[in-house]
Amino acid sequence: MVNAIKGVFISCDIPMGQLIVNMNNSMPSSQRFIIHVLDSTHLFVLPHVEKMIRSAIAEFRNQNSYEKPT
Amino acid sequence: LEICSGVLPREPMNSNNGIKLPSLQELETYALQQWECFLLQLINSGQGEKLTGISSSMMKVFQRGLLSQRDRDGPRLTESGFQFLLMDTNAQLWYIIREYISNAEERDVDPADLISFLLELSFHVTGEAYNLNTLTDVQRTTLKDLADLGLVKLQQGRKDSWFIPTKIEYQLPNLIACAVTKESLYNAFDNGITSDQIITFLQQNSHPRCADRVPSIPENVTDQIRLWESDLKRIEMTQAHFYDEFPSKDVFEGACNFARQWGGLLWEDSKRMRLVVKSEVHNQMREYLHTQGNIEMTQAHFYDEFPSKIPGNCVRSCWKDVFEGARDFAREWGGLLWEDSKRMRLVVKYEVHNQMSEFLTPKASDKKGEPPPFSFLMRSVWVGSTRASLKVSLAR
Repeated sequence: MVNAIKGVFISCDIPMGQLIVNMNNSMPSSQRFIIHVLDSTHLFVLPHVEKMIRSAIAEFRNQNSYEKPT
Repeated sequence: LEICSGVLPREPMNSNNGIKLPSLQELETYALQQWECFLLQLINSGQGEKLTGISSSMMKVFQRGLLSQRDRDGPRLTESGFQFLLMDTNAQLWYIIREYISNAEERDVDPADLISFLLELSFHVTGEAYNLNTLTDVQRTTLKDLADLGLVKLQQGRKDSWFIPTKIEYQLPNLIACAVTKESLYNAFDNGITSDQIITFLQQNSHPRCADRVPSIPENVTDQIRLWESDLKRIEMTQAHFYDEFPSKDVFEGACNFARQWGGLLWEDSKRMRLVVKSEVHNQMREYLHTQGNIEMTQAHFYDEFPSKIPGNCVRSCWKDVFEGARDFAREWGGLLWEDSKRMRLVVKYEVHNQMSEFLTPKASDKKGEPPPFSFLMRSVWVGSTRASLKVSLAR
């Protein structure tokens, strides 16, 4: 019958989705957090990983920003 | 014309250096004197007298509209020149500065640099001394010209030279110069301000001449503000429940509509009959599905990744097959809900979890041949079952 899993639904753009999938795949299997890759712009992940994902994205964004050399 | 406005105002010089700064009153007197002298030069030149002490760049400013060059008699004041003399001081000053900027290119000076420097000066404090040694040659020349107008006072000590702004606030009337940076905007967004609010504010407070332009705020500015905002919103995360294994299309569509009505439907896949619903709506969904086919949900734990082989030197036979041991253990405790011996997976009631954990945790022992510690993958899931038969479907 109907199965329900509790988790966190992520909605994002395609590059961010890729970033999160790669992050998941690079982790040892006991730490993987993606339950379902729903489509290219949506993921369903284990609860409690929001903070980790947000800091990974912030780091990615900072790496992409141009800092004028002083 | 691109203006770099990310420069910080300079630090005033340390007054312990033994610099005696003129008082504000003295500065004002100086400024007025310079300005009147400047105007006098303009008048005198219009009467044919030779100009002394006026820089060539200021001369060019005059010649742009205030003085005319006549072959025989020398320059004369034009009609605009006379009108200029009748304008109030602020308007005159503003005119001079504008013309000074306009003919910058003729003097091989980048107008953007010049405007940038003038804006920077507006951040400086009247009466404070600022060292000349941090300035470029162009900036120093500009300051000399500004000194002719009485806008700054140049002074020289034994070691250093410096300038003191006099009444810079007259220079740029009704203007506030600010810097819009990624950092300042991130700060605003963190405080709940939206890009729309910022852009509306800029539009509503723009100079009437800017406001008449379409668009009143340059597009590159509004675009960048919006881009920086969307950069922070690239992913959205919502606490949710994932539902699948619907028995029929009708039940699935009913669930979709139900979730949609409650504003909780986040995602659906009608081909594979799966949907994601906001967690705040989950209890209602459960209730609803309950009425749809006597669904019961039990919280349980799912175990898999049992080790299939124990090293040959293991002595304890009860560990021969960890999976079977775990299954029998769960059954004895009345907690076994489901098993799959082919793929070695178990679902065990939540209440029995602690005992199962205890059972499955390898204990340290001084005996040889202890089985290696293993890990088992465990997820907390909700299990649905009907009254008639027990069937558990699990998503991986």
